[in-house]
Formats: sequence, structure tokens, C-alpha cells
Amino acid sequence: MTTRGRLAWLDVAAVMAVVGALVFALMSPRVESQGDSARMLFIHVPTIWLAYLAFAITFVASLTYLVTRKLKWDLVAGSSAEIGVVFTTVAIIGGMIWGKATWNVYWTWDARLTLTAVMLFVYIGYLALRRAIPDPVARARRSAVLGILGLVQLIPVHFSVTWWRTLHQTNTFRPRDIQMDGPILAALLASVAAFTIVYAALLRHRYQLAELELDAHRAATAAEGPVAGDAVSAPTIGST
Amino acid sequence: MAVARRDLERERHAGEVVWVTIPFGAIALLLVPLAVGINQDVLSRIGTGMLFVVVMLFGVLTAIRRTNIETPPQRDAIALLGIDPVAEFTGKTVASAVVLLVFEIVMSAVAVALYGLDISGWWWMLIVMPLTATGLAELGTISGAITASVQAGPALVPLLVTPLAIPLLLGATQTVVNIDTDGGNLSWLVLMAIVVVTLAIVGVLTARPLQETR
Repeated sequence: MTTRGRLAWLDVAAVMAVVGALVFALMSPRVESQGDSARMLFIHVPTIWLAYLAFAITFVASLTYLVTRKLKWDLVAGSSAEIGVVFTTVAIIGGMIWGKATWNVYWTWDARLTLTAVMLFVYIGYLALRRAIPDPVARARRSAVLGILGLVQLIPVHFSVTWWRTLHQTNTFRPRDIQMDGPILAALLASVAAFTIVYAALLRHRYQLAELELDAHRAATAAEGPVAGDAVSAPTIGST
Repeated sequence: MAVARRDLERERHAGEVVWVTIPFGAIALLLVPLAVGINQDVLSRIGTGMLFVVVMLFGVLTAIRRTNIETPPQRDAIALLGIDPVAEFTGKTVASAVVLLVFEIVMSAVAVALYGLDISGWWWMLIVMPLTATGLAELGTISGAITASVQAGPALVPLLVTPLAIPLLLGATQTVVNIDTDGGNLSWLVLMAIVVVTLAIVGVLTARPLQETR
């Protein structure tokens, strides 16, 4: 199968998965205590899961880049971080809307909320750093360090609901203690799977774009760069 | 240690922290009561938090101080002298930590005077302040190396350092606030220590690749 064929296949799978997850979400039973706002679960949990996944992949790709020094890993790290920032933003906004419906406030100084916002700023800084360094090799090495440091922030975010007494509920996925009705759990898992496929498709597209950007940068620098002998000018007869 | 001594010597001559950052930080502490009101109860309650917010934000300024940043000829000289990148990272971190510790001590005195902070558990500060200074210095050194020669570097460092320094801010404030709780503040000290050790490991492991790109 060609790359384009694989791409199209992944895109189709992403669309089908989203449609399937939407059907599951709409068919899931209504939660009496929260009403229809409880369906935000099917967006909020998958988006924050994808943010974790995207930043974890940025960490792994950054580490792999520093070991192998292959630029493709830097492109994966940068692409994944970009998607992670988008999904973290969606998770925060979605959480705020859900918070208004359940807690009657958009924002509360809860450990999970605050640390998630901090995590967003860490990766906005990561993306700002990438934009500030035009040289691909320097950019790769420096942002790899930040990509590794970023994971330090990810751990307290995830465990914040366990470490601190917070308004935010504890982690949704606790394999030994699932407190969720079957249909709701099925809809949630379908939604997580769909979002994960969407992430894979987006990562693939962003990576290809990053490759094209790298090629364009190389072509531009090759065209502008000095050529051997540039400094030598042809002697002119009769000039003073 | 030679790198640390050189950085501290440069700082002593330039006096950037003493004449600029410390007065600026003191003004910030002076501004807070003007903004939130001069109720002494409120000030003594928020004082510790404000102290560490100022330490964190102005600590970033000490990380990007002129005497901590190498000019291109200085970087070339370091490379030609064959100074080990890990030794350079350690030296610069030690120098920044010393400068930050001085900054913290002066700011604490100002905060006690302005906000009437309770100083009964002051000896906890003997652990909290060096940990905060070391953590901030490590973050500053790593961020300084990451943004070396980048045009937007001085603007980027605060964005990179501030979010990553949040565990230090939380640890420092909560350790001091929870002094009366039995062992309640010990877990916050452990958090700070973990952050400091993690940053040291990252700084040591990434010193070489970062030096290669400058």
C-alpha cells in the first residue's frame, strides 16, 4: 500500500470511528443526577487522555532523538506536541463548560484544573521555542530537552486527584474499581478509541507537513548559502 | 567550581542582582499591599505566598541576568578550553543558586518587615530557601542553554521557567504554611527535593547535546 493509500485509510477509519462513538454517546442512558451534561464525559475524558498520550509521545520521541540524532524523531515530537496543545485546550474548555453545569462555576482552584493549565503553558513554551529556532538541528536538540522536562509536569497532573483532596473526581479509569454502568463505559471506551484514531491520523498529517517544511528549509538554505569560491572575485584589467 | 567562581566574580563586578533585581523585587512586595489593601491580617496570611511568587518571578530575572549569559566569543573560549559540559552546567547552577539565595534572604527580610510574617518556624526556611534556589537555578541554567543564541531568548526564558517552577513554588509555600501540621510539611519538602534531583539529572544528561548546538 502506498503512503497516500495508508493515509486515506487512516482518515476513513478516523471518520468512521468518530461517527460510531457519536452513536454510542447519544444512545448511552441519561444520568439522572447530571442530565445530558454528563455526556460531556465522552469528550472530556478522551481529549485529556489524548493530551497525555501526545505529550508522552513527545517525551519518547525527544529521548529517541537525543539517542539516535535522527531528525524524524524531532518531527514526531514537535507534531505530537502541537496536537497535544490543541487537545489540552479542548479538554480545559470542555471541562469548564461541564464544570459550569455541575459545579455552577467555570473555574475552580482545583489541583487538577490548575496543573492542567500549567501543563498547557509548558507545551506552549515548547512550541514557542521551536518557532524561535530556524536551524533544524539546533531546534531538535534544544526542544528535545524541553520535551523531556515536560514529562515531569505530566506526572503531578495525572496523580493530582489522588495526592490532593480535590473537587475534581478521581481518575475515571481504575481497572480494579470500575464504578460505571455498562452502556456508559462502552460509549466512553468507543469515544476514547475514536479520539485515539483521530490523533493517529492528525499526527500522520502533521508529520508529513513537518517533513515538507524541513525540505523547504533545506532548499531555501541551500539556495541562499555561500558557494565555494564566492569570496574570490575575477580580476579586472585596468581597475585601480 | 572555577566556572561558578568566575560567574560570581562577574556578578560582583556588575552588581546586576544587588542594584537592579533586589530593589525591583522589594518594590513588588511593596506594591502588593497597595493593591489588596493594608489589612494586617490579610497581609500576614498571604505574605508567605507573595514572598515565594516574587522569588519565583524575579528568580527568572536572575537566570537571564547579563552575567549568566555567555557571549559568542565566551562560548567559543569555553569550547576551545575543553570545559566539560557537565562541569559548566554545575558551575553555572551553583553560581545562580548562590545569587538566588542572597535574593531570597533579602526578600524574606523585606516580607517579614512589610507583612508582619510569623517567624516562629524560621529554621524551616534553612531547608526551603536552598532547595528553592537550587531548583530555580537548575531551571534557569537549562533554559539559558536551550535559548542560547536565540534572538527571542530573553523573552522565552520566563515562559519556559515559570510553569516548570510551579512544584517549587507549591512546595516552598506549603512547607512554611503547614509548619504547625504534624509532618504535613514534610511531604512538600520531599516534593521539592524530588524536583531538584530530577532537574539535576536532566541538566547533567542534556548538558553535552545542548553545548554542541551553541
